[in-house]
Amino acid sequence: MLDSERLATDSKPNILLKGTKEGLLLLLNEVVSFESLLEDLSTLIHGEKKSLFEGPDLKISVDYGERVFAASEIREILDCLAKRENLILREWGPSTAAKLSLFNSSRKFGPQTLLKGTVRAGQRPVFEGDVVVIGDVNPGAEIVASGDIYVLGRLRGIAHAGFLGDWSAIIAAAEFAPMQLRIADIVSRAPERDGKPLRTFMEFAYLKEDSMAVDKLDSLHAWTAMARQSS
Amino acid sequence: MGTAIVVTSGKGGVGKTTSTANIGTALALLGKSVCLLDADIGLRNLDVVLGLENRIIYDIIDVISKDCKLEQALIRDKRFEHLTLLPAAQTKDKSILSPETVKELVGALKELHDFVIIDCPAGIELGFQMAVSGADRAIVVTTPETPAVRDADRVIGLLEKEGIRNPHLVVNRIRPQMVKRGEMLDIDEIVQVLAIDLLGIVPDDETIIKNANKGEPTVMKPDSKASLAYRNIARRILGESVPLLSFEEAPGFWGKMKKVFGAK
Repeated sequence: MLDSERLATDSKPNILLKGTKEGLLLLLNEVVSFESLLEDLSTLIHGEKKSLFEGPDLKISVDYGERVFAASEIREILDCLAKRENLILREWGPSTAAKLSLFNSSRKFGPQTLLKGTVRAGQRPVFEGDVVVIGDVNPGAEIVASGDIYVLGRLRGIAHAGFLGDWSAIIAAAEFAPMQLRIADIVSRAPERDGKPLRTFMEFAYLKEDSMAVDKLDSLHAWTAMARQSS
Repeated sequence: MGTAIVVTSGKGGVGKTTSTANIGTALALLGKSVCLLDADIGLRNLDVVLGLENRIIYDIIDVISKDCKLEQALIRDKRFEHLTLLPAAQTKDKSILSPETVKELVGALKELHDFVIIDCPAGIELGFQMAVSGADRAIVVTTPETPAVRDADRVIGLLEKEGIRNPHLVVNRIRPQMVKRGEMLDIDEIVQVLAIDLLGIVPDDETIIKNANKGEPTVMKPDSKASLAYRNIARRILGESVPLLSFEEAPGFWGKMKKVFGAK
């Protein structure tokens, strides 16, 4: 357990532990003295929370940011890690891929807006960033956003996502019956319905090699992962 | 101080004037003092529907330009003492009209009546803005056709912008047979799209046309479904809760026989 005095002077832990797809990522504080950093590392791995590091082989990445180490200091840290035999050091450096992937996972889009109410025929609200509509987008209405568009209601009008040219923008709706969809500069028209019942499951539209694709919302997660990999 | 209600639709020919005349008359039947204001300037026909055309001496332009007193221009209905009409002008210069002057006029009419029902012109231009400017509430009339519903949706958006938050919906000219066969937009679907409160549904009724030609509002005769529908709308405006009409035809002789024998 941390003693209360240290807790008061230093609210942020010296070592941040993050879970990533490739294993654990240790973010070392850049400014704190080497002694306390090493002490914390040792406590982390062998102390109270050591169960985190137990079990089969565990890949770890260590990111030390702007900190400059002496050669002896590096050896001390590696020795400390080596005391646990199941730890495999995957990455060691100032800006590891593991850390970068952490920041990429939240898209760096602008603001997000919540729009409550119905977007009616003839209206054309424009948003910077993502927009969530709590209501319907009626036929004859057009909703425009530079990011994603989510409609928690019926999408029956026109939706234009990523209008400033963001190809990774998506359009999702609880009831997906749009008149027209636009993502960046690609336009897609709703298929002729001729009397068929409305599709009432959640769907989303995205761009796939210059053309628009529509998929069930369950696939959104898989798609996001794929899109991130390719970008 | 009365309430001003604008009757509007966006699309023309869905029955704004008929609805204005009938709702106004129905309110008068219920003992309210009502003024019908024809804001369809240039095309005047509310007076025709009410059969008051031959009594017009002054009109809305005369009142606003102060050529006559407000009381002089109000035409008293021949059937109800507390139902009056302020007719639209047909040929006079209407540049004197503006949302502000109309609002002032509606305010003056509200002092004299329980209800001021404003017949709005079709479209969403200046005429619409003037008709809406003095209104406290709005009734949006639509028919079960996609273009009419689309325009109604547009108008509801514009009403919200004018500060009229909760417009009410009247779905006019329903043909029960067609709805039954699924050939007409369903009421639920219309209400779902427009997302406003339903004030009433009015069946398509030949007597309405017949009565409009005669200059007699349909509500005067209680024998038709449309008449009943408008009376119910008036009662709902006064805050009563009246169930919606059902358009199920009463079974005829053969229908009854079939029922007895259990045939479909």
